[in-house]
Amino acid sequence: MTAPQYQASPGLWTLAWRRLIADRLAMISLVVVMAFFALMVASGTGLIAAKWADEVAVGYAPPSLFGTPATAVKNATSVSTTEPAENLYPGTVKDPLADEIAELKVQLGAQPGGGAKSSVGAGSTPLNDEIDYKDLDLGDLKVVDPIGAELAEILATTTAAVEKPRVDSLPFGADKWGHDVILKVIKGSETSIFVGLAAALVATIIGTILGAVSGYYGGWIDDFLNWFYSIFTAIPYLLLILAIAAVLNQKGVTTIVMILGLTGWTGVYRLVRAEYIKHSTREYVQAADAIGASNMRRMFIHIFPNVSHISLVQLSVHTVGFIKSEVILSFLGFGVPVDKVSWGSMLGEAQNELILGYWWQLAAATIAMAILVTAFSMFTDALRDALDPKIK
Amino acid sequence: MNSQDQAAPLLSVRDLRVNFRLDKHTNFEALKGVSFDIPREKTIALVGESGSGKSVSSLAILGLLPKENATVDARSQIIYGGRDLLKLPGDEMRRLRGKEISMIFQDPMSSLNPVLSIGNQLSEILMLHMGLNARQAKDRSIALLEEVGLPEPSRRINAYPFQLSGGQQQRVMIAMAMACEPKLLIADEPTTALDVTIQKQIIDLVDALRKKHGMAVLWISHDLAVVGEIADRVIVMRHGEIREEGPTRQIFEAAQDRYTQALIQCRPPLDHRPKRLAVIDDFMSGADIIVDPTQAKRGLSANDEIVLEVKNLNKEFVSREGLFGKRVMRAVKDVSFSLPKGKTVGLVGESGSGKTTVGLTIMRLHQASSGEVLFKGQDLLKMSKKEQMPFKRRIQIIFQNPYASLNPRFVVGDILMEPMRIHGIGENEAEREKLARQLLDRVGMSALTFRKYPHEFSGGQRQRVAVARALSMKPDVLICDESVSALDVSVQAQVLNMLQDLQEEFQMSYIFISHDLAVVKYISDQVIVMNQGEVVEIADSDEIYRNPQHPYTQKLLGSIPRGWHAH
Amino acid sequence: MSSFILRRLWQMIPTMLGVVLLVFFLFSFVGGDPAYLLAGKISNKEQIENIRTQLGINQPYYVQLWIFIKQILTGDFGVSWATNEPVSHIIATRIGPSLTVLIPIMIIEAVLAVLVALGVAYVRGSLTDRAIMVICTVAMSVSLLVYIIIVGQYVLAYQFGWFPVQGWGESFSENLFHYSLLPILLGVAVGIAPNTRLYRTFILDEINQDYVRTARAKGLSEHKVMLKHVLRNALIPIITNLMIYLPSLLIGHFLIERFFSIPGIGREVILAVERSDFPVIKAITVYVAAATMLSNLAADLLYKAVDPRVQLK
Repeated sequence: MTAPQYQASPGLWTLAWRRLIADRLAMISLVVVMAFFALMVASGTGLIAAKWADEVAVGYAPPSLFGTPATAVKNATSVSTTEPAENLYPGTVKDPLADEIAELKVQLGAQPGGGAKSSVGAGSTPLNDEIDYKDLDLGDLKVVDPIGAELAEILATTTAAVEKPRVDSLPFGADKWGHDVILKVIKGSETSIFVGLAAALVATIIGTILGAVSGYYGGWIDDFLNWFYSIFTAIPYLLLILAIAAVLNQKGVTTIVMILGLTGWTGVYRLVRAEYIKHSTREYVQAADAIGASNMRRMFIHIFPNVSHISLVQLSVHTVGFIKSEVILSFLGFGVPVDKVSWGSMLGEAQNELILGYWWQLAAATIAMAILVTAFSMFTDALRDALDPKIK
Repeated sequence: MNSQDQAAPLLSVRDLRVNFRLDKHTNFEALKGVSFDIPREKTIALVGESGSGKSVSSLAILGLLPKENATVDARSQIIYGGRDLLKLPGDEMRRLRGKEISMIFQDPMSSLNPVLSIGNQLSEILMLHMGLNARQAKDRSIALLEEVGLPEPSRRINAYPFQLSGGQQQRVMIAMAMACEPKLLIADEPTTALDVTIQKQIIDLVDALRKKHGMAVLWISHDLAVVGEIADRVIVMRHGEIREEGPTRQIFEAAQDRYTQALIQCRPPLDHRPKRLAVIDDFMSGADIIVDPTQAKRGLSANDEIVLEVKNLNKEFVSREGLFGKRVMRAVKDVSFSLPKGKTVGLVGESGSGKTTVGLTIMRLHQASSGEVLFKGQDLLKMSKKEQMPFKRRIQIIFQNPYASLNPRFVVGDILMEPMRIHGIGENEAEREKLARQLLDRVGMSALTFRKYPHEFSGGQRQRVAVARALSMKPDVLICDESVSALDVSVQAQVLNMLQDLQEEFQMSYIFISHDLAVVKYISDQVIVMNQGEVVEIADSDEIYRNPQHPYTQKLLGSIPRGWHAH
Repeated sequence: MSSFILRRLWQMIPTMLGVVLLVFFLFSFVGGDPAYLLAGKISNKEQIENIRTQLGINQPYYVQLWIFIKQILTGDFGVSWATNEPVSHIIATRIGPSLTVLIPIMIIEAVLAVLVALGVAYVRGSLTDRAIMVICTVAMSVSLLVYIIIVGQYVLAYQFGWFPVQGWGESFSENLFHYSLLPILLGVAVGIAPNTRLYRTFILDEINQDYVRTARAKGLSEHKVMLKHVLRNALIPIITNLMIYLPSLLIGHFLIERFFSIPGIGREVILAVERSDFPVIKAITVYVAAATMLSNLAADLLYKAVDPRVQLK
């Protein structure tokens, strides 16, 4: 039936895509973002970094790639412990998380999982509680398990001799427990990117639907949703998140996705609503009314394709924003649970290590985050320009 | 400089070439070597349709072309006072701007700074170029506002632009341009955004000021009829080139260039009614036959079958105000008329007259406050949405802005087939597609455009698609809401011809809404004049133009620019 | 004018009521039984029942809601669960330090960001413009945390010893000119990048308007065009933006407060969340929401001052 002689013309999406491809910076950014996404998927399915929790090196093994000799670090350790670091972070030199862990235990209370499997008394080795093997979803748990018993000892002495053969240095260094930092960063990326993306999806979908209904119908529906919106915007975003985190008092990736998503829809709502108000009086929509198209048809078939680019850009904007929010929340200890590693929890550990001169975990998490977020922001800008060439 | 030969032109444009960089690979040649002179104390008109380069010329003279993407060719010259303005250093050019050469723009509302009082904006230029202090500048500003006819200038001097009407704003712009008694005033479409009665006042004002102060005026317009009223010489431009230049009389009475002839003939004339308007292709093809002499007859007769009857239609807009208060704006007041089969009723009025609201209310795109709209005896306004459904296709509408009335995400085929799907026209998709292609052919579009998106088309082509969409439902009544107002003159004639042909073929009735009196007079059998929501006069179109009864109608008709004939 | 303010205050009531309901809903339904939290691990049934009675959780919900509303109106939220300090006292004493740091940050940041934005908007499209925009994007991505940990405290205070590492004193001048210097510096460094980008778009929106062309056609110099005509119009969205974000700044710089041990509201929120100190969180949330609404009203009034088109009817 299709007559071949028709001259098909590129649609607006195609044109936008062409503009995007022509932007070299945008393409580089897109490649970087895609690489991170690939990393997330690979890590999530266990293809890479599955063994991040293996303690392959001595605690705080230095990064050989940057030429820091192991001895120098040991010296640095002894020196730094005498420095006034203890005043800064009292009692955290040996086990920076001890306080938090202790507190967490209290809060977690009767939660299952926790210390159930631990053979050591609660409190003395926080790590056994931290790593909930069951939730880790690792195929080769059994391999890891034997080391668990030794953990207590290792931790107690921090840099004591190791019975099992461990390397003195790693290309990117190791953390307190001897985890390879680069694998830890990959695992952390998985969590952070997943949380950012999932929460942004939730927020964008809620914001788009409410905004569409509100802007299209107007009247009391609009009044009601606007009231709802004004409540959420009256409370500063971070305060709201923290309040909910305090109330829920249960950590988990799903929880944090829901917290961010359910509080973050307001920006999308405002923009989509404004677009729907603008478009619903446009002549093409009036023309659709005139030919007898129903409300649903006008809302979703006619208007939505014309405002969907707003939602897409907002999805992108919010992914970046939520990645940052997750980092802050986890850094403060309100984010991902202790058995998960994310950029935020890495930064949380690293703040104390820095005083001791162990900069590599901090550097690794920061650089990974900076690269992704910069690339993502640049891509978002380019996406916005490509989809709406009027705005500079 | 004044001692120089008075016969030498005030300003000479020589071989002006301007290029715009659209993106990395595309350049647009806006001006392709344009040369003309502006003599002292005369009015020169630059006339052309959109894309002709007339505005670019004026911005180039003042050095206001956007720096980011516009380049002026090195060969180009703009000679003023013995110097080439294009080579002048920035600060010397600034000393000329506003002082010796000044400019007024199309949209006075956006051309005035919204957050500064008009007194502030006027004083600014006086203090800059005339060295006045604040006190003197204020007094001079009041005098200037007085001169341009702004009522109560000493009170209005503290007003902000939004507190003035469009005509008053343009007067303020003129006062600003006149502040330093410039040698040359460039007026870039200064009346296009204004109502016809205001347009007349502004034209008269600029002409009076020109005579009084002995300045030259470069008047830029798309409308030959407007410039014919005041210009001494007319320059016709198209696609960045000058087509013809000459004294106004010669341009109107003995145009040599085919394009110029087309521009003059494409406008619907007021004194007769050719069955078919001349279109640009007739002239540009080079054929000998130019204008079809056949005349049409318009007007109602007693035995016309009435298709649509509007009775005491009212529409109020209520805006919330204060805690519980509301403000009621009566947009349409007791409008009644009837529309016979196969005839056209023209609704004419200035902005705010309620003419568009009448159209939208009949369509139920606005809910009427009261009144009846009887379609073949049944009241459309009383029906539920469901009951109204079968009637929807009987009345259709063509909007003003061809760029907004087609969904940019739909291809032409979908735009045409969607109404057929909704109303179950055609047995199946294949048949609907066949019908759609026939419609495209009928409105003069290639059926090959079926899979194209609207952004590929020009304004005229889009309007044809909009007409085809309406036709797909075979309506009895077609409402044309300013449907040709946004189109260039030459395209306007093509669309008007097409509408007339379609009316004859399908015996449709039109409600033709426009602010353009010449167009309404040409296409209507009966004309309804509206002012501030009310009908002030209804009569057959020839009758109303020959013998207007109501003073408002008389004023409206008196304001129509009539080109050269008015001299 | 006064009728406008009255009406706006009147219109705030439903929103405020909504905030109260939301907070009440969060803390009474979503959250678990606070009695368990309070009692800690050494709880038995009797103790928990005691606490429940004390907190009034045994009462019907409408009574609890009424108690909550009464608390808001009287400002008496009882005492902190963690420290037994009266909540009203906590809020009253924590606002001062917060403002000491926040107000200088806001002013310096706004002035610098407007100046930089004007500069880059003036040379828009040039290499300088693009370079600064890329720097801003990168700066926005290197998160706040890293600024504070590395650049700030560790390098400037700890390694170089230019600033005190942390602390807070009794006298205002000591706090402002000694302890606050580094927090202010870091706060400005964090905020300036996104604000510069935002203000640049506000200014670019204005630069392409017709009235700017008119100003040029009058023969005004470019910097006069920018400073008088463009900036005057761009200030409208800038001021709105500043006012609307004022209350969230109170919370937004909690990380700075935490790291530098500044006893401000933000740090108090973190502490309260860490300790599940519900009365403090509830009180701060409700009062910050009220402050947000009031500063929105102030934004409207300021709006009127810079934009004559706005009519306060």
